[in-house]
Amino acid sequence: MRQTVNVGCALRIIRAGGKRKANGAQCAPYIEFRAVTFFVVVFLALSGCEQRPLVYQQQVLALGTLVDISIYGVDEQQAAKAVTAVGNKMEAIHHDWHAWQPSRLTYINEQLAIGNSVSLNPEQQQVIQTGIELARQSNDLFNPAAGKLIALWGFHSDERPDTAPPAESDINALVTAAAKMSELTLDGNQLSSTNPEVMIDVGGYAKGYAVDQGIDTLRRMGINNAIINAGGDLRAIGNKGERPWRIGIRHPRQAGVIASLETHADESVFTSGDYERYFEYGGQRFHHIIDPRSGRPAQGTSSVTIIHKDASSADAAATAMFIAGPDQWRETARAMAVEEVMLIDTAGTIYMTEAMSQRLHIEIDEQIKTIIVP
Amino acid sequence: MTLADKIVVALALALLPFLYIEFWGNSSQGEVVLIRSASNEDITLSLDQNKQLEIKGALGTSFIEIKDRQVRFVDSPCQGKQCIITGWLNKDGQLAACLPNGVTVQIIGRDQRFDAVNF
Repeated sequence: MRQTVNVGCALRIIRAGGKRKANGAQCAPYIEFRAVTFFVVVFLALSGCEQRPLVYQQQVLALGTLVDISIYGVDEQQAAKAVTAVGNKMEAIHHDWHAWQPSRLTYINEQLAIGNSVSLNPEQQQVIQTGIELARQSNDLFNPAAGKLIALWGFHSDERPDTAPPAESDINALVTAAAKMSELTLDGNQLSSTNPEVMIDVGGYAKGYAVDQGIDTLRRMGINNAIINAGGDLRAIGNKGERPWRIGIRHPRQAGVIASLETHADESVFTSGDYERYFEYGGQRFHHIIDPRSGRPAQGTSSVTIIHKDASSADAAATAMFIAGPDQWRETARAMAVEEVMLIDTAGTIYMTEAMSQRLHIEIDEQIKTIIVP
Repeated sequence: MTLADKIVVALALALLPFLYIEFWGNSSQGEVVLIRSASNEDITLSLDQNKQLEIKGALGTSFIEIKDRQVRFVDSPCQGKQCIITGWLNKDGQLAACLPNGVTVQIIGRDQRFDAVNF
């Protein structure tokens, strides 16, 4: 953004300079006048730059992805400081809740697996409690207790190699074990589990949680107009001066943007897609969103986009509705009290709630079968 | 040339390095790659998704790879292979072209219509 504004100023300077020269060739006696005017024009052009509101934009590496932070309405120094704070906060969350590198979470899982209870600090309690609540709302379609399934499918690694999917018997054993968040009990600060097969994996809402914490960090620093976009999933607060923040939603199957929306005050926009992480084997593609009911990648959905207030809920809801699929997503949306949902199925048909249809501006010319579900 | 003209020219020249550094010297990392070919429509892709592409051109197929936020020609049916020699592109504005095959690859900045893109 900043760059665009600056280039605009550069053009103004060049244009203004050119005009002076052209006039000067005809009016030689007014050299002093021309020189003075030149300075005035340059001064005005540059001071125009100073006063023009800027969006400070910076990317930081956190959560294993590029986090793009846009901040409006504060000076560059304050914005830069805020970006660093947000990056550090998000990176700390990533570190604490890493599912396969030794972390606080892997320690918790080890203890639960051998039947011990673990004491959690207030922040950890909050994360676990949020997970239990979101799983309950989604009727366990969103299931952070099913970490063993994710691990079995090989997604507990930075890059899943294109090797065979797990054996049927192993998948079925874990589906039968039916690890659920409701089997966890948080008594004071003590977390315990009644099912040794529970392995917590916060991957389905950790990004949302980190974005929420990032926004809290910004607010504490007095920043009320910003976007934190963590690898495509974002929360936007406030606005960009006189106008709202404009968000594009990328097409799940083609290049470019399929729809756009303007955020209102404080909203998160999260998408779960089958294109995010996957491996291919025997000519088939296996994506990373595992349906806890079948123990296999959820079928029928290509992507789900959610607009919701907080990012943690938006993140979990996108996963839950992806798994619920074209037939059951509406029910799940009601259960999770999420009103703005768009689901694109594997055939390319778009389903959305009435509320979502009022928010989206379709950005492609091609006619797509769109079903609005009341 | 009058004195004022000289001052104007001198100032313009003095301003030049500043402008260059400010606007072009610190080229930011690109986010979107634009692939053009004579026979297909323009393709715009994000650099954050790794991808292999086959683009049909005048002579045959150009193979283009997007990896780790960079893009390059892997192979192209031309004589000089200039496009492949160009190597990886990752900065805003960088361009690689296979002119015999009529395929160009250029990194362009973010989509200016939006403040953020969700995917």
